[in-house]
Amino acid sequence: MTDPQNTAAPAATVYHDQPSANPIKVETRSVSVRYGDTQALHDVSIRIPDRGVTAFIGPSGCGKSTFLRCINRMNDTIDSARVSGSVLIDGEEVNSRAVDPVVLRARVGMVFQKPNPFPKSIYDNVAYGPRIHGLATKREDLDAIVEASLRKAGLWAEVEGRLGMPGTALSGGQQQRLVIARAIAVNPEVILMDEPCSALDPIATARIEELIDELRENYCLIIVTHSMAQAARVSQMTAFFHLGHLVEYGPTEDMFTNPHDARTQDYITGRFG
Amino acid sequence: MTDRAPSSDIRKAIETRLARRHRAERRFQFYGMAAIALAVLFLVVLLSSIIVQALPAFTQHTLTLPVRVEAELADPQDDRSEESLRAGSYSRMLQVALQDQFPSVTGRSELRALFGLYSSVNSAKLLNQVVENPDIIGETIEFSMPISDDADLYLKGLTTDERFVDRNEPLTLSGAEGEVTLTASDPVFSAFIEEVNDTLRARIQTVSDRAATAQARADRAETEDARQAAAAGAERARREADQLEERLQAREALSLSPEMASLLVRLGGGVVQITQLEPGGRVARGEVVIAPERDGVYQDWTEWRIETPAAGRRIGDVQIVFARALDDRGLVENGLNLILFTNADSREPELAGVRGALIGSVLTMIITMLMAVPIGVGTAIYLEEFAPRNRLSEIIEVNINNLAAVPSIVFGLLGLAVFINTFGMPRSAPLVGGFVLALMTLPTVIISSRAALKAVPPSIREAALGVGASRMQAVFGHVLPMAMPGILTGSIIGLAQALGETAPLLMIGMVAFIADPPTMGVAGFTEPATVMPVQIFLWSSGAERAFEAKTAAAILILLALMVLFNAAAIYLRSRFERRW
Amino acid sequence: MQISLFTVLILMVLTAVGFLVGRRRAYAVSSGHASRLHSLPSYYGYYIALWTGVPAFILLAIYGMFGNDAVNALAGAQMHRAGEPVHAQFEQALSDDEDIARLEAELATLENRRIYAREAIERDSELVPAAGEYPAQSPAERQQALSSEINRLAAEREARAEVLAGQVEAQTDDALARAGFVYSRLSDERRELMINDARAIAFGEGVASRETPEINALASAMRPFHEVLRSSMALAALALAIGGLAYARSRISSSFRARNRVEGAISVLLLLASVIAIATTIGIVLSLLFESVRFFSAINWRIDEFLLGTQWSPQIAIREGQVGQTGAFGAVPLFAGTALITVIAMLVAVPVGLFAAIYLSEYASTGVRGWAKPVLEILAGIPTVVYGFFALLTVGPLLRDALLLLGYENAVTQSALAAGLVMGVMIIPFVSSLADDVINAVPQSLRDGAYAMGATKSETVRQVIFPAALPGIVGAVLLAVSRAVGETMIVVMAAGQGANLTANPLESVTTITVQIVMLLTGDQEFDSPKTLSAFALGLVLFVLTLILNVIALRVVQRYREKYD
Repeated sequence: MTDPQNTAAPAATVYHDQPSANPIKVETRSVSVRYGDTQALHDVSIRIPDRGVTAFIGPSGCGKSTFLRCINRMNDTIDSARVSGSVLIDGEEVNSRAVDPVVLRARVGMVFQKPNPFPKSIYDNVAYGPRIHGLATKREDLDAIVEASLRKAGLWAEVEGRLGMPGTALSGGQQQRLVIARAIAVNPEVILMDEPCSALDPIATARIEELIDELRENYCLIIVTHSMAQAARVSQMTAFFHLGHLVEYGPTEDMFTNPHDARTQDYITGRFG
Repeated sequence: MTDRAPSSDIRKAIETRLARRHRAERRFQFYGMAAIALAVLFLVVLLSSIIVQALPAFTQHTLTLPVRVEAELADPQDDRSEESLRAGSYSRMLQVALQDQFPSVTGRSELRALFGLYSSVNSAKLLNQVVENPDIIGETIEFSMPISDDADLYLKGLTTDERFVDRNEPLTLSGAEGEVTLTASDPVFSAFIEEVNDTLRARIQTVSDRAATAQARADRAETEDARQAAAAGAERARREADQLEERLQAREALSLSPEMASLLVRLGGGVVQITQLEPGGRVARGEVVIAPERDGVYQDWTEWRIETPAAGRRIGDVQIVFARALDDRGLVENGLNLILFTNADSREPELAGVRGALIGSVLTMIITMLMAVPIGVGTAIYLEEFAPRNRLSEIIEVNINNLAAVPSIVFGLLGLAVFINTFGMPRSAPLVGGFVLALMTLPTVIISSRAALKAVPPSIREAALGVGASRMQAVFGHVLPMAMPGILTGSIIGLAQALGETAPLLMIGMVAFIADPPTMGVAGFTEPATVMPVQIFLWSSGAERAFEAKTAAAILILLALMVLFNAAAIYLRSRFERRW
Repeated sequence: MQISLFTVLILMVLTAVGFLVGRRRAYAVSSGHASRLHSLPSYYGYYIALWTGVPAFILLAIYGMFGNDAVNALAGAQMHRAGEPVHAQFEQALSDDEDIARLEAELATLENRRIYAREAIERDSELVPAAGEYPAQSPAERQQALSSEINRLAAEREARAEVLAGQVEAQTDDALARAGFVYSRLSDERRELMINDARAIAFGEGVASRETPEINALASAMRPFHEVLRSSMALAALALAIGGLAYARSRISSSFRARNRVEGAISVLLLLASVIAIATTIGIVLSLLFESVRFFSAINWRIDEFLLGTQWSPQIAIREGQVGQTGAFGAVPLFAGTALITVIAMLVAVPVGLFAAIYLSEYASTGVRGWAKPVLEILAGIPTVVYGFFALLTVGPLLRDALLLLGYENAVTQSALAAGLVMGVMIIPFVSSLADDVINAVPQSLRDGAYAMGATKSETVRQVIFPAALPGIVGAVLLAVSRAVGETMIVVMAAGQGANLTANPLESVTTITVQIVMLLTGDQEFDSPKTLSAFALGLVLFVLTLILNVIALRVVQRYREKYD
């Protein structure tokens, strides 16, 4: 394998033709991220369609999670992180001063690698977002939101009648679905998922993947994954990252059957990663 | 196809609450900053108040007198033997020397005030000088000694405000000694009379206010008893106000009492203390403290006001006059107070120093270090490297954690009951103090040593074991040296804590007044001693005001020592810290 | 010093020699091929050095601990033997003396009557009026009258015996015999004093409180024993050292496992070191328990009164001649004072400490953390006596003046408020550093989760981090409470000493620790209930803080396990 470090000035991103079935929801223009002295992301530009699943793949440390965190400005919480470039949601600049991250994050939900239910009851976990944002004024409204969110996350049947139980008492897969329910309780437009299945067993993974498939009817889903099989199973679009660069982006089928870039080819065929 | 709520509605709902949420956020952040600011403020106030209080203690006025070492006083048997020299009357010699400065002073109370300017303990120093060098008998030597604490505070300007006003209205002095009358053609004293009257008026105002509040309380009182008590209080206050008022109105001579500011007149090299002022401010009666050169008319004289009433200070007017006169004659010098460092404790603030306590602290710390560090490190090595995971190890561990939180005074009780009463070790000794502090410091040393050992990566151990070293060799040859900086840092911090500890040492009697510092050697370990923090405690309850400054100064010295300890810890940490 | 430095030096040299011998021996038995040895040659050296030094030093240590007692006992025995004839003479004089015989006969009669009276009290019956000498009395009155009469006669008998003893003493020429006789008639405490005086004269240990021919005689009796014991111990130690050296040397062969032996010895040493921690705890518990039991028996086991009584005035107990008068030992005012000051301190320390910790871990930039943390550490490192001084001379007067200005006329300098406030400041860094640890242990994923939901920082802290960290914070607060309860110097200096039972923070109160200090500093007799009560208070303090610590450590431990 060639040492990627030595390749001078990496080639520009290869973009496949995009089927224009859905409108563009998220667009970025030359987004770069630095952590202190190290640059983690170089000039990433991408256009992600609404109502579909876009997968970010690539070897670990390639910047895909960093990029994901740019979309809801989670990098703000890291002191040393500096983001440049622009991120547009529905054509609206996210990084502008006028945009309050609080509002932005209500619009762009996020699910993390490790399930992180709050140390509260299942009900309070799901009701957390609606409560802090003041989305429900009456108890019945809140009940309705919680039930609807849990149903959408496919967890209702399992937890009905046990809503007072602490969220941490659920199994790993259930916890992850609880966290998804928590995210969709504020009706976000975009849901970011950072390797949502990497801490789960295969059965729970399958359940989450099913859920992702259901959710894409209504949401713009962006999912970072380690597993190419998963990307192939759940996503319509795939972006391949390598060493902080977006190498190739296109419809999933296209990417897997006909990669244009040699690095993509190597990664997909398992030469490295 | 979609069951998504219109996103604009949600945004609107969010945005309506947004301002309130951000306000709460800022409030919360403000609380946090306020907490930090409060902590910083406390520290600044604490340190600055101690520094301000300590400053006067670092300088001391020294009185240097020409002392004639009279043979008959110094050597009563006239044989120059040490025995004879030691029987000499040196305090008389000092008295004579001081009296020579003020030949006109003969009154008993004046002389008492004059001799109050130094502590008689100083004659021992003169004695030693003579015993060391009997040749000075018959000669006049320059003898220096610290001036008394009250005079020292006065000369530092901490006792009272003073005002010297140069006047040139002619003033006639009726005599040059005893009771005298000062007469002027102008009302030269009326300004002073007016000021005294002003303070009197202010007093009347406060007393009347007090009467009014007491009366109000009496009117509101719920029980008869309370009403009567309050009414009586009101009556008393009213009567006092009336009396004061009467005094103010009376057009008779104003007698200066100790509750009023003092007025003195300097003229012709002498000082007259004014006792009575005639109305009109032209005539004053007073007493000569230091005789002026002559009586008659003086063109130039100085009005000397001492603002703080004599009742509110420990030093009287007469002593102030003497102290000021000695200072003016250049016999008193303000310099660095070395006594603070070279003397042990004393009942006289001007002679008290921290040397004894410092030596006591050093001796105690040596014992603490010799005991706590080896035992603590040994325990840490055992628990971290060798202890089998069994019940005993578990008990030791829980035990150490609990021991770390046992109040320090309980260790003092342990020391009293076990070391002193059971083993019969000497009270007040650095040995016992060191033992007690060592037991108290042990948990700190153990916990930090364990942390240091734990921080050594297992790969070091495995590497050593891998080349055939025994477990003991791996630990002592490889792990321990690498953990040493951490162990030392923890131990020094523990010792610094022990250095500042007071309560347990009170229990074992290290709180006694000890005028001789313990010997700096093996014998010192069993001699009665005190340590710095206990010295601070003792001085803080000293009655003399000068001890306040001494206490603060001792605190600064102790803090400096602790800073030194911690600096050593930080240096070790940065010098030897390794990262893996 | 009863062990001469010389002996110690010789032993050290011998130990060093043992090391060299061992190493040479090892080379010798391996005939120059060190690799044939089981262990490195220096281990053989250590092995012999251990056998040379350890037994001898143990012997010296034992001698150091019990040597004085042995000399005292031996000299005491000699003195006792010398005094026996004198004592016999005294007994003879006693039995020959008519006054004594008369007094004893009278005492016996009176004692019988007293027993009769006591029986009458127990039976609750009237007394038959005794012939003439006693008017009609109630049994209780009679008993009391008899008791005082008995006391009077006993004192008379004692005085007579004293006179006789003086006569006997005057007839004895041998000072040591007199010493033995005098000693036998002394109380335990006076005996101890006499021994100490004699030691002071004989060996210059401190200053003798008095010097009499008898004490001098005892001192001279001590010297030879001391010399003999000292030189024989030195010789025995040397013999042990040489014997140990020889024995260990004889065991060395090339297959001898010297390293294992040496390492075994070291691990025993390490184990002993760690047992000291336990020994300390046991020592604390036993000494507190033992002295408390003595205290409780002195107040007739009225533990309920101690724990629930509201009157604390132990001073009465030291007035002499008040048999049965034990002072008032109701510790409730102390507990209340401790609680009051602790509450005030917590009201300062918990909010400020928590907010400081939250700000430092969640908000502060690296720069702010860089100076704010050291500031807190400095606050934590300042000795408590300094805080006490600050409370006494700055905060106390300031508070008093402020209160006077506000019209509160009973303001005092030494108040619960002044002490509590300053103690609160002292505990701020303690709370904040513990809380900081706890907050930092909350996993980042929970923060991320909350931020990703659009929560603000304060919402994250209040609704997610705080509930997650709550057990740890509770533990930290409990530890802080335990710290406040056991804090001594601030309250000793700034809270006053009056045992007021009050909830008014502006008054002066007293605490458990203050009373311990008050009771144990200054003049004290070790056996009075006043002094012993300090240990009972110490026991209460120890148990209280132990409970708090155990709970707190448990809670924190559980909490750590949850997130580790």
